[in-house]
Amino acid sequence: MKKLVSVILAAMLLLTCAFSAVAEEKYLGVMLSTNVMSLDTNLATDGESFEVIADCIDGLMQMNADGSAVPAIAESYDVSEDGTVYTFHLRDAKWSNGADVTAYDFAFAWKRIAKEAGEYAYLLDTSVGCIKNADSIIYEGADPETLGVEAVDAKTFVVTLEVPVSFFPSLMYFPTFYPINEAFYNSLEEGTYGTSPETFLSNGAFVLEDYTPGTATLSVKKNESYWDADRVQLAGIKYQVVGSSDNALTAFRTNALDVVTISGNQVAAAKKDAALSQNMKVTGAGYMWYLSFSQTEKNAQNGKLANANLRLAITNAIDRDNLVENYVMDGSLATYTAVPPQFAASSTTGEDFSADQDAFLDYVGYDPEKAAEYFEKAKAELGVDSFEFTMIYGNNEGDEVAKVAQAIKEDVEDALPGLIINLQPMTKAERLDKMQNDNYDVALTRWGPDYADPMTYLGMWITDNSNNYGFWSNAEYDQLIKDCTTGAYIADYDARWAALFQAETLVMQEAVIAPLYTKANANLIVSGVEGIEFHPVALNRVYKNATIK
Amino acid sequence: MVKYTLKRLGMAALTLLIITFLLFLLVRIMPGNPFPSERMNAAQIANKRAEMGLDDPILVQFIRYMGNVLQGDFGKGTSLYNGAPIKTVLSTAISNSFRIGGTAILLGSLVGLLLGITAALNKGKFLDAFCTVFSILGVCVPSYVFLIFLQYTFAFRIPFFPYFFDPGRFEFSSVIPAISLSLFTMSTIARFTRNEMVEVFDSDYVHLAESKGMYGRKLVMTHVLRNALIPIVTVMAPLVVDLLTGALVVEKIYGINGIGKLMVDAIAGEGIDYNYVLALGILYSALYIGIMLIVDLLYGVLDPRIRVSAKGEEA
Amino acid sequence: MAKKMIQPAAAAENYVPTKEDFVFLSQRDIRTDANFASQSYWRGVFTHFFKNRRAVVGLVIILLIVIFAIFGPVMNSFGYRDIVQYRNEKNKRVVAKGISPQIPALHQLLTGEALEGNFAEYTFLFGTDDLGRDLWTRTWYGARVSLLIAFVTIIIDMIIGMSYGLISGYFGGMVDNVMQRFVEIANSVPRLVIVSVLAIFMPKGMGLVIVALLLTEWIGMSKIARAEMLKIKEQEYVLASRTLGARNKHIIFKEILPNTIGPIITQVMFSIPTAIFTEAFLSFVGVGIVLPQCSVGTLIEDGFNNITTLPYQILPPIIVLALLMLGFNFIGDGLREALAPKLEDM
Repeated sequence: MKKLVSVILAAMLLLTCAFSAVAEEKYLGVMLSTNVMSLDTNLATDGESFEVIADCIDGLMQMNADGSAVPAIAESYDVSEDGTVYTFHLRDAKWSNGADVTAYDFAFAWKRIAKEAGEYAYLLDTSVGCIKNADSIIYEGADPETLGVEAVDAKTFVVTLEVPVSFFPSLMYFPTFYPINEAFYNSLEEGTYGTSPETFLSNGAFVLEDYTPGTATLSVKKNESYWDADRVQLAGIKYQVVGSSDNALTAFRTNALDVVTISGNQVAAAKKDAALSQNMKVTGAGYMWYLSFSQTEKNAQNGKLANANLRLAITNAIDRDNLVENYVMDGSLATYTAVPPQFAASSTTGEDFSADQDAFLDYVGYDPEKAAEYFEKAKAELGVDSFEFTMIYGNNEGDEVAKVAQAIKEDVEDALPGLIINLQPMTKAERLDKMQNDNYDVALTRWGPDYADPMTYLGMWITDNSNNYGFWSNAEYDQLIKDCTTGAYIADYDARWAALFQAETLVMQEAVIAPLYTKANANLIVSGVEGIEFHPVALNRVYKNATIK
Repeated sequence: MVKYTLKRLGMAALTLLIITFLLFLLVRIMPGNPFPSERMNAAQIANKRAEMGLDDPILVQFIRYMGNVLQGDFGKGTSLYNGAPIKTVLSTAISNSFRIGGTAILLGSLVGLLLGITAALNKGKFLDAFCTVFSILGVCVPSYVFLIFLQYTFAFRIPFFPYFFDPGRFEFSSVIPAISLSLFTMSTIARFTRNEMVEVFDSDYVHLAESKGMYGRKLVMTHVLRNALIPIVTVMAPLVVDLLTGALVVEKIYGINGIGKLMVDAIAGEGIDYNYVLALGILYSALYIGIMLIVDLLYGVLDPRIRVSAKGEEA
Repeated sequence: MAKKMIQPAAAAENYVPTKEDFVFLSQRDIRTDANFASQSYWRGVFTHFFKNRRAVVGLVIILLIVIFAIFGPVMNSFGYRDIVQYRNEKNKRVVAKGISPQIPALHQLLTGEALEGNFAEYTFLFGTDDLGRDLWTRTWYGARVSLLIAFVTIIIDMIIGMSYGLISGYFGGMVDNVMQRFVEIANSVPRLVIVSVLAIFMPKGMGLVIVALLLTEWIGMSKIARAEMLKIKEQEYVLASRTLGARNKHIIFKEILPNTIGPIITQVMFSIPTAIFTEAFLSFVGVGIVLPQCSVGTLIEDGFNNITTLPYQILPPIIVLALLMLGFNFIGDGLREALAPKLEDM
């Protein structure tokens, strides 16, 4: 027995020595909330994956600290007079295997996106990027070679659009538009691109150092051959997936991680701690939570929610300030507009599209009396005075969602006697499935902006859009949106902006959705780390200017 | 014995085939999309389904799938790590879960046996009461609560162990999860051992052995424990399978990429990943069937009077 | 099993046995030990059980939990789904969330000062959760659900699990083979898959939870019962009983079952917490009870999610569960000793 004890002690001692001896250059320890699903721009769909891809690959443009697009691989670009032809002039940059970054790499990558027709291929089509022939390739299977892109020579990349797109340069920092080295890609076994450091090339600030799909850790190290290497101060970033948000705060306090995102209850705890509240930085996460109402006949007791007054009654019964202050608690903003604030600013006036949260106070707000009035009208119009709806929400979409759902239930049932809301949690997969098959009454759902234009939201509610989960249809609205994407307003920026606001008004007047709050992230950043740029759109965190003291 | 084992293995293959087919059907009935997307339209999703062959008759799909599996190809995910072949993702997960789970099983069963034996030998005394309370707490408090407690104490307050799992320091960083996972097994084994041994101590042949002057460790080991082992081995078998196939919450909190987390991601992530569910299902069933076979063979070893096999095929 | 009887050599050669020569075992006048059998078996079990101090303590614990589960939620003015809140002078909502256990009177007594805070006048014995609901009410409300789960589990284990295992083990051979392969199949389909499919065909809620438990919860017990059966069926008294012409049913349930009761009771006890956590898991994935309802299992999960910030939240449900287990275990131990009394205990 004694012998066993001494052996164990000796072993423990050895282990401690072996593992404490490792001294390395300080990497920044960063928390991820979910695993990185894919480093292939065609397959990646989540913010975590986009963040890591953007660490390693530069597109034509990159995101500035204020969210504007500034040149990256493109040294400069010209736009034709009618705004439909963009000519990008590429700078000298290298892939991590030594090859030059060329216009051919971009042409290859973009055609591949169109051909594979994946999740984000829509950024190329006429609802967003309007690249010539993208629609026919993505939706009708036309030859990808017909895509309106051309590598004139190794350093000149020309893109032809169907119609002018005012925000086109800012799309260029989205990972979907990043290049892939064709020769390298073709040398790999099919389906293995981006599954390990060996099967992935970077041309950006960092190179992939350690990654296996499914692991909770991932690291990138500084790319010495990056064209802008002088700017990058970090030796590298070590990502760690933290599956339980409760754990994030302790992980930060243990110094296991330098940058973490904490949720409601921890924010409250951290605020009580003077040192921790110094480290806290609230940043916009971009996406907006809202209630979607199914208006079709087969749901909600034979389409009762098709009645606008009933929807208005519900949206006026919800105390959004209470939601964000008492339940979400991480700095999220109560939202009263269909387009959330703080992501889309006018390029002529610089004003945020949704800066005025009181714009629709007549239709949305917390006013139980007004809610009751609408409810009376709805009861009279529908000829019934009791309703029972089921509200679906995801149980794997964040800690606060179940709390928010319960608070909404209490508010609505309080203000509107006779209306019962039953809660039904399910996985996000099932929630999406139910919404896409129009098999729900009310859904607590969210949408994040893909690009910095109100259209990323307003485009959803046109007739027959696959994200129009309420099946609301309004001819005036459809026309307005059409004019803004491909019609009358495309050349006149301010007129388009005004038309978009008009469209938003239509959505709010009829309470097509009930906006709830715009999510924020409460980050804790260790003292001495500065310069991490946070964005609500596209790339949530950018580390090119980050420093550790 | 050999003949019986071979026969059982043959049946195992058939059972596995039935299970795989059942799973193959059930995942397709489950709500949820193998290609979860809010940005693709119906036609795009239909194309993806067609590419994966999901529109073919179910039997055709099944035969094609089994053909691939027999060649060791489990395909790739549809929504999960969709670039990478399942084999690569699964192999690290299996290696992590097996090693941590295996440690937990060893720890749990050895300490559990010791605790149980001690309690039985001290029936009615303080140690027995301690063992009872320990076992009850061990099954009432979920392993992830133990994990948080250990992590908080030995990785935060006393920063000796790493706060998160670190594949580069495998042994060292699997101490905390292995201990927390072992507690349920430990408690169950301790309780069963204690109760069984108390009964065996009361039996005539132990009284006989005692009256013949046998006592102490020899008595416990040769007569009592051996006879108490049959139920213990029986309760242990499913625990072994569960521990080897990972524990979701523990893996999630400690940042281990293991089988448990993979399974839940596959079923309840953004979508339902048919290929992952199937691959993991086959793994789980094969383990379960294999361990049940081992248990049946062990019965005969522990008590030669037991014959699981039918007459005429002596085990 | 009928073996050919060998005629005793001494029997008269011409004698032809008549019907009257035979009598059913059960109709025969059986002589019993008048001292020992003066009380019936069950009466013996009863007295034996209540003589056992620990067993009585166990029974009292369970009864107390049942009483609190029935009356606990109505012992104060808060409903299980009521959010304790008011509006302040600025018309802002103040919610009693995350308040650790407080008893204003006791605080006054101990410190001499009145309790401070927005809800200082309220007594929250177990505190409030992060929505602002009283945990005392929720804990006992949740105990109702979990007690039901516990009893259902006991029934499933004792009826399905035990019979399945005993029968499979007793007949062995082909019967065992088929029955065990079925167990393997039933056990191998992930619970989440089978439950999600079931949820398409039946309403979500307690009913579905019980069906889910019915599907797999008996398997552990059946394995134990089978193992015990395999061990015992080879023993001499079983052979004796069989030779005497006892039917299979009699041998399985009357002869062997009482001798397997020890591990069976232990298994029942240990399957209860597993079942309670299974319910919590099913509720979390949305096929069990729905919010704002709760169970001990879901309360433990909620508490766990806030364990570093609101650590008091996890204690009440865990203590209730542990007491429940302690009570059941004491009862189980008492029952085991009472059902299979050894000579020395008498």
